[in-house]
Amino acid sequence: MTILAFILAGTLAAATPMLLAALGELIVERSGVLNLGIEGMMALGAAIGFVVTYQTQNPYLGFAAAALGGIALSMVFATLALALTANQVAAGLAIGVLGQGMSSLLGKPLESQTLNAPDKLGIPGLADLPVIGPLFDQDIVVYLTLALAVAIWAVLNHSKLGLIIRAVGENPSAARAVGFPVLRIRLAAIAFGGALAGMAGAYASTIYTPLWADGMIAGRGWIAVALVVFGTWQTGRIVFGALLFGALSLGGLIGQAAGVGLPSQFLASIPYIVTILMLAVISSNRRRMRLNTIASLGQPFSN
Amino acid sequence: MSLNRRNFLKTSLAASTAIALPIPAFAADVLNVALIVPSPAADVGWSHTLELGTKALEAKYGDKIKVTLLENIAEGPDADRIMNKTVADGNTFLILGSFGYMEGGLKLAKAHPEVSILHASGYKTAPNFSPFGARYYQGTYLMGMAAASLTKSKKLGCVGAFAIPELITSINAFTLGAQSVDPAIEVSVVWVNSWFDPASEQQAAKALLSQGVDVIFSNAQDTPSVIQTAEEAGVYAFNLNSSMKTYAPKKYLGVVATDWAPYFLQSVDAHLAGTFKGASAWLSMADKCVIVADWNPDIPADIVAKITDVQAKLESGAFSPFTGPITDQSGAEHVAAGVTLGDDMILSMDWHVKGVTTPLPK
Repeated sequence: MTILAFILAGTLAAATPMLLAALGELIVERSGVLNLGIEGMMALGAAIGFVVTYQTQNPYLGFAAAALGGIALSMVFATLALALTANQVAAGLAIGVLGQGMSSLLGKPLESQTLNAPDKLGIPGLADLPVIGPLFDQDIVVYLTLALAVAIWAVLNHSKLGLIIRAVGENPSAARAVGFPVLRIRLAAIAFGGALAGMAGAYASTIYTPLWADGMIAGRGWIAVALVVFGTWQTGRIVFGALLFGALSLGGLIGQAAGVGLPSQFLASIPYIVTILMLAVISSNRRRMRLNTIASLGQPFSN
Repeated sequence: MSLNRRNFLKTSLAASTAIALPIPAFAADVLNVALIVPSPAADVGWSHTLELGTKALEAKYGDKIKVTLLENIAEGPDADRIMNKTVADGNTFLILGSFGYMEGGLKLAKAHPEVSILHASGYKTAPNFSPFGARYYQGTYLMGMAAASLTKSKKLGCVGAFAIPELITSINAFTLGAQSVDPAIEVSVVWVNSWFDPASEQQAAKALLSQGVDVIFSNAQDTPSVIQTAEEAGVYAFNLNSSMKTYAPKKYLGVVATDWAPYFLQSVDAHLAGTFKGASAWLSMADKCVIVADWNPDIPADIVAKITDVQAKLESGAFSPFTGPITDQSGAEHVAAGVTLGDDMILSMDWHVKGVTTPLPK
């Protein structure tokens, strides 16, 4: 494996857990709700996905169960944030902590156990290409996540459903006035975000590093939240940010292994700095920025 | 008794005194031992080895001892609170399993002279507070010899947690051991800057693989992430503390294991006899604390013989890996010929030997 192959093959897989969670959060925030509990939902999904896959030896069941777990936890958030119009930041942080605690509890009996990673799925023809071949030799979730990104972009920007979600996020009162059930739409968005966060966790614990270790999400849920905000709620920018982050974090490790004379702490911080800078530069147009910002984000709404 | 303010105050005062009074929950002749560790005490890893040490105590003293395990305790104020509570609960012998428990543990030791405390990897001592650690470098030197006999690319790699002296020492001894077999060996190091992040550890291992490394040293990781990645890629790997052979049945190079039982037994004996004295214990192969095991059958017989020979010298104290001449990364002679580094120099090591290609983070 050459260095280039390592980065090409590794970037997509490294980006996938963050991208999957960020796409879910994108829909949630576009509907006007800020759910900061991603880290906890990912941790819970990781534990459930691992436990179920370990017991049944069926990764699909693991993913399904992780998605359900993510939805269940997001419904706790929805109860607080929508039904009780609690502060969304506080509610999100609370369920985040709850999710991490539940994750530790569930995973405890299987601490340090491992699974067999599913085989990679090479795209016939493309995977054998010289140089860029490794790019097309990924696990199925990577392809599905990219397909999902395209689908979400299409739905948000070119469908009636996307228009409704955006209307609910921009001006819930107006949306309500023309007859859209604001809270139900937000509830569905939160559930969707929970499902994707749960699956993102399952990807981390059953495919990317197929082992259980308490606390293994290690902040990736927060990166997902940051990607959505710094990507100014645009699908393409979020994908770009996730890939950039993935590539740079691998690049930092390569740099160390190759003996680059920079401190490892600095190399480790490059992905964060550069990703934020790049996304900030892309989104630096003030007028566009105002247009992109979701008007009612984080504000409680009651019918 | 009518519920007026005076009576209410009286009764609540009585109730609170009753709660505050120390209730002798344990029989007086049972020693209560608390073990506090930073990570989950799984089937492998650092916390697990400490737990095994306390199992030996239970085996010896039977129902004369009661060990309480408190796992996954984050360093910081929370750990201080928990330590204090264990003493309040009647534990008189504490084993603190992480460097970061040092200040809180020391304060506790001063406030409770009747309590004896063992503290992992620290450097501060009090009359009833002993820091302890293992000379992992003795084992990693032998692993280096084995690695040198198996590498084809002559490139070895190490995934490290943090660039602290204990880990640097292990890497240097590993490199020196490898060079004792083949002077052309080079070692690349990737620091993940985290004690615990399986995904980064896996990426770091793969980054080393992409550089042509074909033996990997998993330095201070409690998860099998690196070992698992190496097995998948078909390269040899080894780790510290407890064996991870089950995660890599084919390519497991071996383990530098630690056995805390002799030290724990000796310390508890002293505590019970009233002769416990706070002193730094840096345990070695001679103390039966550092153990090498689970050697891969692929290691050639002549190297196995050499390893056995060096191991005997390490155990008898006739040989130290840090005996000059040793040159550092800049090519300058760091240890003169015939000179052996003292413990204080090894404990504060902040330089790499020649052959480690990665510059040390400043």
